[in-house]
Amino acid sequence: MIGILNIGLGNVQSVYNAVYENGYDPIFVSKPEELEQLTHFIMPGVGNFSAVMHSLEQLKLVPAIQALIARGVPTLGICLGMQLLATSGEEGGLCKGFDAIAAKVKAIPNSNNLRVPHVGWNEVKFTQEHPVFADIKDTRDFYFVHSYHMECLSGDNIIATTDYGSDLVCVAGNKNVIGVQFHPEKSQKNGMQLLENFCEWDGEFHA
Amino acid sequence: MQKCTACNLPETYETIEFDENGVCNICRQKEFKDEKIDWQRRAEMLSRVIEKHRGKYEYDCILPFSGGKDSTYTLWYLVKHYKIRPLVVQFNHGFMRDTLMENNRRTFKKLGVDVISFTPNWKLVKRLMLETLVRKGDFCWHCHTGIFAYPMHIALKYQVPLIFWGEPSSEYTAYYNYEDDEIEQVDETRFNRFINLGITAEDMYSMIKDDYQCDPRELTPYTYPKLRDLKKLKYQSVCLGSYIPWDVKENTKIIQQELGWRGDQVEGMPWDEYSYEKIECSMQGMRDYIKYLKRGYSRVSQMTALDLRNGRIAKEYADKLIADYEGRKPPSLTLFLEYLGISEDQFNHIVAKTVVPPFKPDFEGMEYAPKTDDFDRWYREDEQDRGIIFKNPV
Ligand SMILES: [Zn+2]
Repeated sequence: MIGILNIGLGNVQSVYNAVYENGYDPIFVSKPEELEQLTHFIMPGVGNFSAVMHSLEQLKLVPAIQALIARGVPTLGICLGMQLLATSGEEGGLCKGFDAIAAKVKAIPNSNNLRVPHVGWNEVKFTQEHPVFADIKDTRDFYFVHSYHMECLSGDNIIATTDYGSDLVCVAGNKNVIGVQFHPEKSQKNGMQLLENFCEWDGEFHA
Repeated sequence: MQKCTACNLPETYETIEFDENGVCNICRQKEFKDEKIDWQRRAEMLSRVIEKHRGKYEYDCILPFSGGKDSTYTLWYLVKHYKIRPLVVQFNHGFMRDTLMENNRRTFKKLGVDVISFTPNWKLVKRLMLETLVRKGDFCWHCHTGIFAYPMHIALKYQVPLIFWGEPSSEYTAYYNYEDDEIEQVDETRFNRFINLGITAEDMYSMIKDDYQCDPRELTPYTYPKLRDLKKLKYQSVCLGSYIPWDVKENTKIIQQELGWRGDQVEGMPWDEYSYEKIECSMQGMRDYIKYLKRGYSRVSQMTALDLRNGRIAKEYADKLIADYEGRKPPSLTLFLEYLGISEDQFNHIVAKTVVPPFKPDFEGMEYAPKTDDFDRWYREDEQDRGIIFKNPV
């Protein structure tokens, strides 16, 4: 069963639709016990890092998600959902994340005169191969909307970067966990392929 | 008109571009195909695709089949080299010719395969032909869409995910190319991009429903199935020609030897030179005629272009064939007009609107091409069946 986290913090219907169109029957999950039946877990996200972590704590979802990740269930974080996989985030005050990827989430530096948030299509350059990116070619465009980005402590966790003034990490992974900063559900053919690959992924990845 | 200095194709050809030497992109693509593709690797990919699906469903693959040289070669190749068990699916557009039907029977028997043949409602077919003739100057919408969509419905009905087509489109146009090592998928993207002339079955229903008695379900064979259902099936819809080098003349020789496949006369073509191409449809001469009226070249140019590209004929000979054969009226024009219930003037008037400049056709000054051997056996309608039965005469 493929579960999509839906805690009422933004439109997750487009992620659902994209997975559904790929031929799967995902369910929305919002309660800890609903996570137990999942074979795959998708954590989409818009909003503010610390506010969302706070909501997840109130819904008692933090230990449930941590347990799910520890069980080895393939887990995909999208946009803010990717950032929540990090050790900590700065948005809305320093706050702990799931620490599934050793990384810190920081504001995009506005030193290079580029607009923040970073909105639009941008090239994704792979630094490593990953099963979730099978059949997707290097340097293809994906759709981004973000003001914060993930800084990984180890290059082992970096799967791909995108150039926005400097190279920002846009795909990071660790074992059964993978996060993408862009929105696959809005990235047409390649995004659809990514979601399909994820739904077929067994959670195996070694840097 | 500007023409490619290598292959003669004119500027009115779809997707054509010329480089600084006046050589077209389709010629360049051919060079790429010959020189840069790792066919050894592609052959290994083909084996992987087949082994992934072998033995898992009622059939190993769906094989859409017209009986022309490409689908016949594809069937022969897969059965002979891979001992594959296909379900052959034939969409009979209503114009299949005697020689073709004989070829089919022989091929199916010699290869020992299961076949499904589907023929759509002829009265609806005529109405669809008129609609796309008027809108697009191409009366074959029912055929384009049916051939590509119907086998996908069968794939779903039988739950067979692998669909094998023959020749990739990159052989003829630049919509897809061999570069980037991309395997062309015969999917809805391709369907919408250049199969359905920009008209979906839903569009078509709303175009004809006011004057023609029609149930929307009748359009199902022309509708591409839902992506969700195809994805759920984990469908893989590919061309054999993406995996093995495609040489039409060589392939034809093989099916002639191995299956006794026979060519046929096609209206307006040099019969001795090109007897193997587009023998599937008694209206092919009409297709070629309209193409000529629209774009100033017909299939003679396309065939000689392929041969020039392959270095098989001399430029002078190609020029002579084009001069002798192009721009002649097919005898089937009479039948065509009877099917649709329109006059030649109405026909000329419709086609004149779709002409691609700078070409200007001369409707008056065209002679008839000779009749083919089977011309007298082509379907003729009784007085009361001629034309289209409209709800309210228009
Ligand atoms: Zn050329």
